[in-house]
Formats: sequence, structure tokens, C-alpha cells
Amino acid sequence: MARPRRSRRTLTTLVVLILLSVTIITLDETGKAQVLISGAKTAASDIYSPLRSGVNGVLDPIGRFFAGAVNYGTLQQENQKLQQQVQTLEHQGAADGAARSQLNALQRLLAVNRLPALAGLTYVAAQVTAQDISNFVATVTIDKGRDTSVTIGDPVLGPGGLIGQVTTATRTTATVRLLTDGLSKVGVTYGNQQEATVAGQGAGRDLGVDFVAAATPISKGEDLVTSGLQGAAYPAGIPVATVTSVHTVAGANDRVVHAAPIVDLNGLTYVEVLHWSGSS
Amino acid sequence: MSGRAVLRIVVLIGMTLLVQTTVVLDIRIAGMAPDVMVLLPIAAGLVAEPPEAAVIGFASGLAADLLLPAPFGLSALVGALIAAGVSLTAASLPREIPGLSVLAALVGSAVSVMLYAVLGALLGESQFLHADLAVMVPLVAVTNAVLAVPAVRLTRRALVPPGDRAPAGSQR
Repeated sequence: MARPRRSRRTLTTLVVLILLSVTIITLDETGKAQVLISGAKTAASDIYSPLRSGVNGVLDPIGRFFAGAVNYGTLQQENQKLQQQVQTLEHQGAADGAARSQLNALQRLLAVNRLPALAGLTYVAAQVTAQDISNFVATVTIDKGRDTSVTIGDPVLGPGGLIGQVTTATRTTATVRLLTDGLSKVGVTYGNQQEATVAGQGAGRDLGVDFVAAATPISKGEDLVTSGLQGAAYPAGIPVATVTSVHTVAGANDRVVHAAPIVDLNGLTYVEVLHWSGSS
Repeated sequence: MSGRAVLRIVVLIGMTLLVQTTVVLDIRIAGMAPDVMVLLPIAAGLVAEPPEAAVIGFASGLAADLLLPAPFGLSALVGALIAAGVSLTAASLPREIPGLSVLAALVGSAVSVMLYAVLGALLGESQFLHADLAVMVPLVAVTNAVLAVPAVRLTRRALVPPGDRAPAGSQR
């Protein structure tokens, strides 16, 4: 008698939990409980971020040392500090490979700031504290959040170009969806102001370039930059990716084009979050 | 489950999540990291009765969902199903099997990762199937198999009052 009762209890519990999960997923997907769910996620991140930082601090004192180097207040201070770091690294002669690569990254990050398209825009410098919190998504966590006006949707730049967009922001941290993430899509231009879309295909994989008409000239090595159309998620003119392969399939309307991000997304240390509302 | 057991399980889930998002995330093989949050429902399935195991699996998944940029509730669903599945399978075994926890962690983790990818794809996250499952599944399964014995011990300590604990290594 005990066994059927136990089986019934198991079945009831399982059915209730499945229904509860499906309800939560549906509410999340349809956006009907967006305020509640994003509020819960933000609250959890706000509680967890300091704990995580504490543990990382204990386990990674070297990383903390470099984190201390990036503590800027205003835009000018950010630039000055970056430049000082570049100079310091230059003076050290970039003796080892790590320092040389750091120097290179900072120089490229500074070069991105000087893009004409970004003139007049403000940004905040940040350090990457964690890479890919899940194996299924391509994201990084940065050490700046709402306290420094980082908001959801802000474009994020790395050394040389665009790396992605802020998807969640807590008080002190933010999650950035990288270009390679399967949900990432960026409007780009190439050649004679032709437009296409760069789509992520998963971490470690090349980017897909969609909507390249078969008749349009595009070649390997060509750079793709953000198109910045009306209401676009990114300002125009930011380097995004370089074309790595172009194939024409007989009878197809579009070419099969792949590209690689201009920025090395695996070795990110410093990034910049642009304050961009889409109509700036 | 007593109030103290619930509290201990909540602490265990919180600590596992902290370990996952700090130490474990830094261990990268071919760009992939192990996932110890998957191990918690399996350990609960080996220690608790199916209904309790399912609830623990659901709770640990929901905790992970709070920090993941993925459909909210997906890990909870997978956690509940895996925990209940492991618990029902373990309960149906006619006799004790040596190394059951290691075997359950190996198989359960592999099934959990694949189930997450498939359910995610069904929910519109098609990129989940583009993830490098050929690396991810064995990596998560093997690391969780290695960690299975301590994970089951910790879960048993959290769930079972000290006087009722069976000798280490024995099933439920």
C-alpha cells in the first residue's frame, strides 16, 4: 500500500514542478513577468556579485592587482590613466610577451576611442572579471554596472572594435553578450555602403554574414563596420569583423560569407562601455 | 524534510553556485568549463526520495537560472527531471551497485547537458545546439563523476540528520 502512495506523491510532485517550470519559462519568454523576473535576476546578481568578487579576490590576487589599475572616475581620467599605462608599459620595454600583448591591447583600445563616429559620446572603462558564465552563451562579466551609468543595450568596445552589448546590469557589474553569441546580431556595412547582418554562431565559431546578395562584390579580408541606421543598437563606423571566407552557391540568392571578430574575444581584459541610447 | 535540512540545502546550493561561478569557471578545456550545478540534482537523487530530490533539483536549477542569461526556469525544469529520474532509477535497483554515485554522475550529467540544449532549442534558443556539445558533454560528465563521491556525502550531510546517516558509500 505504501508503494503506490509513494509513487503517486512522486508523480504529483513532478507534475507540479514541471508545470511550475513551464509557467515560469512561458512568463519569461512572453515578457509578461519581465519586471518580476528581471528584478529577481538583478537582486540575485546584486547579492552574488560582491560574494563572487570576494572569492575571486582571495583566489586571484594577481587579477586584483590589475583591477586596481583600472579605477577611473571621469572620461578624461579614464583616458589619462590608459595613456599612463601605455607609457608605463612602453617604459618597461614590454619585456615579456604578456606585457607586450597588454600594451598592444591598450593601444588598440585607445585607437578605437578616436574613431570619428564616437566623437561626443561618453563611455566608461571596465575590466573583464569573468568569461562565459554558461557553456551555452558567449558572454563576459565586467566590473562596472548601474553605479557608473552602464545600462542594458549599451555597446561595448574592445581593443580594435566592437565586442558586444550589455544584456544585464547590476549595481556594480554587467553582463556583455559577445558578438559570437547565438543571439547576437549586428547591422554592418561593407564595400560601397552595402548592408548586411553579422550573426553570432556560438563561442569559438566564426560569425555568419547574412544578406550578402550573390551579385554584390565582397572579398576575403574586407572589414565590416557597424551601419548605424536610424534607431540602430550601435553607432555607425565601429569595426566589427573581417571577412574570412566567401562562397557562392549556384542558384542561391545570397552568398555564404563568414567573418572573424576584429577583437580577440578570448583574451579580453579591458573594455569600454559606450553610453548610447540608439538615437544619440 | 526538517527546517534545518531545508536551510542546509539552501546553503549547499548557494555554496555550489559560488564555487561554480568562481573556481570552476576558470577551468577551461577547449573553451568549455565544467558545470557542478548539474551535479547537485544527481546527488539529491541518490540521497533523497524522488519527490524531495525533484524539489531540490528544481531549487538548484532555479538558483542557477537567476545568474544565467538564458530562459528563466529551464535549468529548474532540467534539474527536477534529472533528480527525479536518478532517484527513481536508484530506488528501482534490486541491490547496491558499487560506484553507483560515479556512474549516476557520469550518465546523469551527460543527459542533463543534452536535455538542457534540446529544451533550450525547443524554446527558441537554437544556438544551444550549436554549442560544442562534443566537448561539453564529456567534460561535464567526467568532472562531475570525479566529484560525485564528495558531492553525495555533502548532500547526505545536508539532508539526513546525523543519527540516521548510513555508512559512507552506501545507497540511501
